[in-house]
Amino acid sequence: MTKTPTSLIESSHEATDLHIRSDLTAAHAHVWEKLAAPGTWWNGSERLAVAEVVRVALGDFDPVPPWDSASKSGRLPNDSVISSELQDAVYRLAVHAGTLTEGWYQKMRDATGVTPQQWVEIIEVTISVASVLRFAQLAGIDSPDFPEPLQGHPTRQTQPSKPAKHHWVPVVHLEDSTPELAPFYDGLPALAPVIRALSSVPAAMDTLFTLGDAQYIPMREMVDLNWTRGTLSRRQIELVAGRLSAHRECFY
Amino acid sequence: MMLRASSTANDLELDLDVVRGDLQESDAIQHAPELAALVDASVNDLASLPSARSALVEATDEATMLDAAAVVANFEMMTRIADGTGTRHPADRLESMSELSGSMGLGDFASARA
Repeated sequence: MTKTPTSLIESSHEATDLHIRSDLTAAHAHVWEKLAAPGTWWNGSERLAVAEVVRVALGDFDPVPPWDSASKSGRLPNDSVISSELQDAVYRLAVHAGTLTEGWYQKMRDATGVTPQQWVEIIEVTISVASVLRFAQLAGIDSPDFPEPLQGHPTRQTQPSKPAKHHWVPVVHLEDSTPELAPFYDGLPALAPVIRALSSVPAAMDTLFTLGDAQYIPMREMVDLNWTRGTLSRRQIELVAGRLSAHRECFY
Repeated sequence: MMLRASSTANDLELDLDVVRGDLQESDAIQHAPELAALVDASVNDLASLPSARSALVEATDEATMLDAAAVVANFEMMTRIADGTGTRHPADRLESMSELSGSMGLGDFASARA
């Protein structure tokens, strides 16, 4: 019998003596439920094809350099439902995100034909897989399998996104908030650019908030510079965050 | 940067070498070497990840190690969002962090977008 996405995560988190927080298990289960289901701009099979590239990329101990094609290296599936150009873009996002430039982004869009909103959803799939698999690796637990793709069409739900000063991709400004973005925008006087970055696809915002709340700090607690779960202090949290970001050469 | 802010808020002196430099003790951050070692192993030396994990558990406890793993996972997410969408800081923020980014060599990153 096919396992549900949630049961795949629960099996991974429960097959260990470690006591993993239930809210973290729930957050990973939530994004696994979405992973192979129809999204906003991609169907379940296409989202899973993106996820497969990310899984290969994250497990690649001798990664293809950023200037080479991963799809031509023979390490990515050659029967994928996404194009080889898009596979290359996803691989580079997964392994060499710190090398991406605006010129690369424009060329990638020309080569793949993806819209900015489709790219945002690809980022959403990438961060879902990166979060779940990297947590498993760090914690020393088995990585969950991917769920089976679900049939159905993407919703193609548009948002009033506009060109942005602080991003390559368009974003929805606070004053243009919609019912779909209300859970993320309401009550906040401002939103950091990196949080607003995914706003053209509310389902991606949901993934970001779900994971961020459980893996890092609940968004509305961010201003409390002494916030803690009772384990890591805020300074310890930020040390881990800063050191990882430096390794990834992420200026932001 | 939130690390500097959370230290300043508590009147603690912080040597930011703790972020990019060699493993070192820090008066402001308990168990900094063990936390940094876990991050380093996860990126550069997976063979040493089990020992880095054990060292952190020994210094703290399992729940703390798991939360550190979750924070790493989170910033594997945030770095890809920032760099995949070309997110840049507003000008006033860039100005306020110029000394910090200069001293830490962050401006040398390909992802440094003005």
